[in-house]
Amino acid sequence: MPRLTIDNREVEVPAGSTILDAANKLGIEIPTLCFLEGCEPSTSCMVCVVKVAGMPSLVPACATIARDGMQIESECDVVREARRAALELLLSDHLGDCMGPCQVTCPAGMNIPLMIRQIAAGDLADAIVTVKRDIALPAVLGRICPAPCEKPCRRAAFDRAVSICLLKRYVADADLGSENPYLPQRKTTQGKRVAVVGAGPAGLAAAYYLLQEGIDCTIFDDHDQPGGSLRYAVAAEKLPRDVLDKEIALVLRLGAEFKGGSRIGALLSIEDLRRDFDAVFVAVGKLADGDAEAMGLDIGKSGLAIDAATYQTNLPGVFAGGDVVRGRRLAVRSVADGKEAAVSIVQYVLGRPVTGPAKAFNTRIGRLKDGEIETFLAGAGDGPRITPDAADGGFSEDQARREAARCLHCDCRKPQSCKLRLHAAQYDAKTSRYQGPRRLFTQNTQHPHVIYESGKCIDCGICIQIAAAAGEELGLAFVGRGFDVRVAVPFGRSTAEGLKIAAKKCAEACPTGALALKD
Amino acid sequence: MSELDLTLVDSAVERIGTSREKVLELLQAIQGKFGYLPTEALERLCELTEITPASIAGVSTFYNQFRHRPAGKYTINVCIGTACHVKGAEQVYDAFLRHLEIPQGQDTDSQRLFTVDRIACLGCCTLAPAVQIGRVTYGHVTGDSVARIIDDFLNQEKARAARPVRKRTLLGDEAAGRGEIRIGLGSCCVARGSGKLKEALDAALSTTGIEVPVKRVGCVGMCYQTPLLEVVLPGRESFLYAQVEPGDAKAIVLRHFKPPRLTKRISNVVSTALDNIVANKGTETVTRHSINVREGHVADFLGKQAHIATEHCGVIDPVDLDEYLGKGGFEALRKCVSELDAEQIISEIETSGLRGRGGAGFPTHLKWSAVRSQESPDKYIVCNGDEGDPGAFMDRMLMESYPFRILEGMAIAARAVGAETGYLYIRAEYPLAVERVNKAIEICNERNLLGEHIFGSDFSLSLKIVPGAGAFVCGEETALMASIEGRRGMPRLRPPYPAESGLWDKPTLINNVETYAVVPWIIRNGAAQFANLGTGNSKGTKVFALAGKVACGGLIEVPMGISIREIVQDIGGGVGGGLRFKAVQVGGPSGGCVPAELADTPVDYETLKDVGAMMGSGGLVVLDETDCMVDIARYFLEFTQNQSCGRCTFCRVGTRRMLDILERLCAGEGKKTDIDELEHLARIIKASSLCGLGKTAPNPVLSTIKYFRSEYEAHIEKRCPTGKCRALITYSVTDDCIGCTLCAQHCPVNAIEFRPYEKHQIDTEKCIRCGTCRNICPADSVKVE
Repeated sequence: MPRLTIDNREVEVPAGSTILDAANKLGIEIPTLCFLEGCEPSTSCMVCVVKVAGMPSLVPACATIARDGMQIESECDVVREARRAALELLLSDHLGDCMGPCQVTCPAGMNIPLMIRQIAAGDLADAIVTVKRDIALPAVLGRICPAPCEKPCRRAAFDRAVSICLLKRYVADADLGSENPYLPQRKTTQGKRVAVVGAGPAGLAAAYYLLQEGIDCTIFDDHDQPGGSLRYAVAAEKLPRDVLDKEIALVLRLGAEFKGGSRIGALLSIEDLRRDFDAVFVAVGKLADGDAEAMGLDIGKSGLAIDAATYQTNLPGVFAGGDVVRGRRLAVRSVADGKEAAVSIVQYVLGRPVTGPAKAFNTRIGRLKDGEIETFLAGAGDGPRITPDAADGGFSEDQARREAARCLHCDCRKPQSCKLRLHAAQYDAKTSRYQGPRRLFTQNTQHPHVIYESGKCIDCGICIQIAAAAGEELGLAFVGRGFDVRVAVPFGRSTAEGLKIAAKKCAEACPTGALALKD
Repeated sequence: MSELDLTLVDSAVERIGTSREKVLELLQAIQGKFGYLPTEALERLCELTEITPASIAGVSTFYNQFRHRPAGKYTINVCIGTACHVKGAEQVYDAFLRHLEIPQGQDTDSQRLFTVDRIACLGCCTLAPAVQIGRVTYGHVTGDSVARIIDDFLNQEKARAARPVRKRTLLGDEAAGRGEIRIGLGSCCVARGSGKLKEALDAALSTTGIEVPVKRVGCVGMCYQTPLLEVVLPGRESFLYAQVEPGDAKAIVLRHFKPPRLTKRISNVVSTALDNIVANKGTETVTRHSINVREGHVADFLGKQAHIATEHCGVIDPVDLDEYLGKGGFEALRKCVSELDAEQIISEIETSGLRGRGGAGFPTHLKWSAVRSQESPDKYIVCNGDEGDPGAFMDRMLMESYPFRILEGMAIAARAVGAETGYLYIRAEYPLAVERVNKAIEICNERNLLGEHIFGSDFSLSLKIVPGAGAFVCGEETALMASIEGRRGMPRLRPPYPAESGLWDKPTLINNVETYAVVPWIIRNGAAQFANLGTGNSKGTKVFALAGKVACGGLIEVPMGISIREIVQDIGGGVGGGLRFKAVQVGGPSGGCVPAELADTPVDYETLKDVGAMMGSGGLVVLDETDCMVDIARYFLEFTQNQSCGRCTFCRVGTRRMLDILERLCAGEGKKTDIDELEHLARIIKASSLCGLGKTAPNPVLSTIKYFRSEYEAHIEKRCPTGKCRALITYSVTDDCIGCTLCAQHCPVNAIEFRPYEKHQIDTEKCIRCGTCRNICPADSVKVE
């Protein structure tokens, strides 16, 4: 039984074990992409490299047999640099968007393509969960949002953008109109209280997400009714008050306490709130002269000064977001601020380091090349953008489904399980660190269960092994050599022919979004 | 599409077999029949054998040899090896495409007569730029000569079809005592016309009635003088004729040999006289070629050499076993079988200090003992003849010229490690080597020098050739073994080393051609004598392929420790054309450039490594002041990138990114940070690639940055100081123009207007910077800036 050390910790493993096995035994995480238990190590991605004392080169942990007396370093600078380089090199040849251009542009970062797939499949119950994960007031925004998300929609390069905003409204309206509108789960209470000052979009959103984390919220507002600018600055024709009321009611039903008619000033000061609550979120809307000074908060360019990543003001425990910070009216931005500030506030009240929300790692295809839009269009419905004909300006069910069918689904189907994305974020890999001419986008959708996008393939060959082991008649093969090597079905046949039995297994095992389940 | 005759597949399978490892051989057979690999044929192959579609798809797209599209009747292989590259191979390639009017992105002309392909290296570096059409090799090709070459080839084909095959075998004893005529028939010699010369000699002998054996011999090494013809007369010094043309054959014969009958003699006098009148040339045209071994550059060329792997060079017939035996051949094997035990053989190799000649220089005896110590009933021995380095042709020459020596070396090694089965993996681009080694194996089997119970002992050895299919990476030992097993030639992680787990997971000894070739000499002459040659840690000799910008290129074998200067200046006769010696590229894509300032560097494993180069397998390409070092680096990266197996990220993507930068630099689109970025990538790729190919791929870049940094900086400023990088230069005509119109006549793209007696002008928009005008201008009035 060889004994070795990893990062100065001793471990003994059965003969024939790899360095990766030894690390696992110690609970040391070594990142891997191309390694899968039960498959022959591909030694392809080289993300699992470690340094062995006395060896001139770094070695892949997944395939290097542990030998007695080995001294291994798994987190030193050389190793981290090599891992990051491996990831960045893979990313330099990784053709795909982790998130669709719409999601990237949406200030709230809503997973729009997923919502659209759920609409198309008639899964409105799932769709509202998707929507409300990022947008607390979708029925409201479905009526007033200028829809920046539709601007970069790839479909616009062909005819017109997908009507995203109205699709979201359709989901939200359907939910509000149902017997039991969606109410997210609340975590058990943490015994912490947050004062939210201002019941506009930012404040309501912050409360909505804080409550879900088990934090109690009290919302103060100088008006009698909650809604802030939504109620007092947006015309009722544009935003019917019953819709606003219903959506706000859901926030209150989640457990927020509303105290109207309580303006910060003589009666109620920030100092009082800081004393009585564990944290304060200031979202009072556009600042009037003297407001900031009265609250003792510093002023920035367009409003209160905050740390851009954490929403913290100059006063400890006081956070700010929405128009009070930005000075311009964009409800979706305010809703996003509320959601993001809530993350920082939770970190703060629970005594964790305040870092704000993690920035999602994203790769982008960027500008399409000639012919690529056709590839995207291959699986989409070919109708024109639908204009609602109902009096209230919303989609009917049939219209919503047809409009949903127009989406090109530019996003990756494995944004959560992609190991490249995971480790790239972990090692702070930059997508554009190395640049070279990019390949042509391909997307293969004719298989009933899986999608194959060769541009996302890292040539690990796990799927080839799985298909062969499953006894596929044709299976998959490496075709070509070197930089041009691609995984493909032999003899130019289709994925449907190549993967008759092992498709799902291959898609699940694929470390990236190259092979992914359709739904 | 016409119906394919799939029974051809059936018969190939019947002949070759159905097991998985036969896949390369089967694909080669199918391609041989159809000219490419039709999908129907591949599907048929799956039905008939245990080979899976995935394996066929994987293997057939891995190796360069295989085509999936129909090809023209003949394939024009334009060699883009290093020596050819520096002498303008790309321009030649372009010229063929232009001449045959092949549109961009395609490789075959509209009549499906010719397919034009680039080939990694034909190993005819002294003929650079070289082009192979069918089995004919053309040397010193220029963009201007492609039309003539195609005509010549087609005429030859016509003549070949019309001419009945006539062969006359001359046996060594047939005219014993009369002397003999030796003619070099290595690939280079043949390419330079020694085949035609041999025909002319045969004809001359039959018309004169003179009976003297004409013997083909292997490579003499003096490739720059080919075709070479040597007349050996018993008891007298021999006469060596260089650059002999077929028309000279008869005169040479008559000079040294007397026709048997008077009438013949008279008619010979008459006809020779007539010949001379008609051809208007006297006998001095013959003596013009005659060179004396003891004089001048020949003495220099041969003087510093020491022939061990190339012992008896230019003397023995490659496949004449008796001659080999007569010169002590197989004595070493006999000794190893009957007198020495395995330990003693290995200890002898240890004493000799022999290290692997494939490049890395691993001590040979350690490898042998490692395999010997494995307890396994099955062990294999492999000869690595997959010499793929552009600019290297040592192993080809050795296999073509001394096949018995290599087999003997392998047999001794097999005896020492306890292997009874072995393979010689030989590049498919070396058909003559395959043919000769095959013949030699056949003869050895017949004569019990291979096969069962060699010399009546308990030692048996069966050897077989596995032809490669065009993948440089298969020179890496684990990739080579994967290829023999019928898989894609992908290297794998070592350890385990082949000595523990090699072919089919059995202990395997794998050595390079040259390593085996010196073994018999060591056993025969004693390890000490071998160790006397060379330096502290690098013993014996090394065979080099000397090519590029050198006056006397060829195959040389020199003692280790000789300086680069001695090789280039003394043996190679220096750089020709009054140009300055700039650097020598040692070790191909894994090696580096040693600049002229370091020419006194002794050639041994460690010192070469210290200066940023590498012994490699032994290609030496000499560069002169007109060679652009950024272009050289780009050239090698392009090669490695093309040849990367694609397994590990660092090599597959990393070298691609390095190449991107170099391409940008050569196109005048470089950035200030490019040099740093190249060095950064190089460091990471070297430290973390999976196999030796990747780990050494950055060397050509690093060594050129180290010694020629200013050229990189110039490229960042959009200048190519040597005027090589096409995107950075313009051609123009100076006032020295005499208005001769030659440039206008030869310009392949009509970028020069025809203006007799006037100064010509080059339309830079149309100009493709091929250099034709510059080469042809009699007044030296074409300027490149």
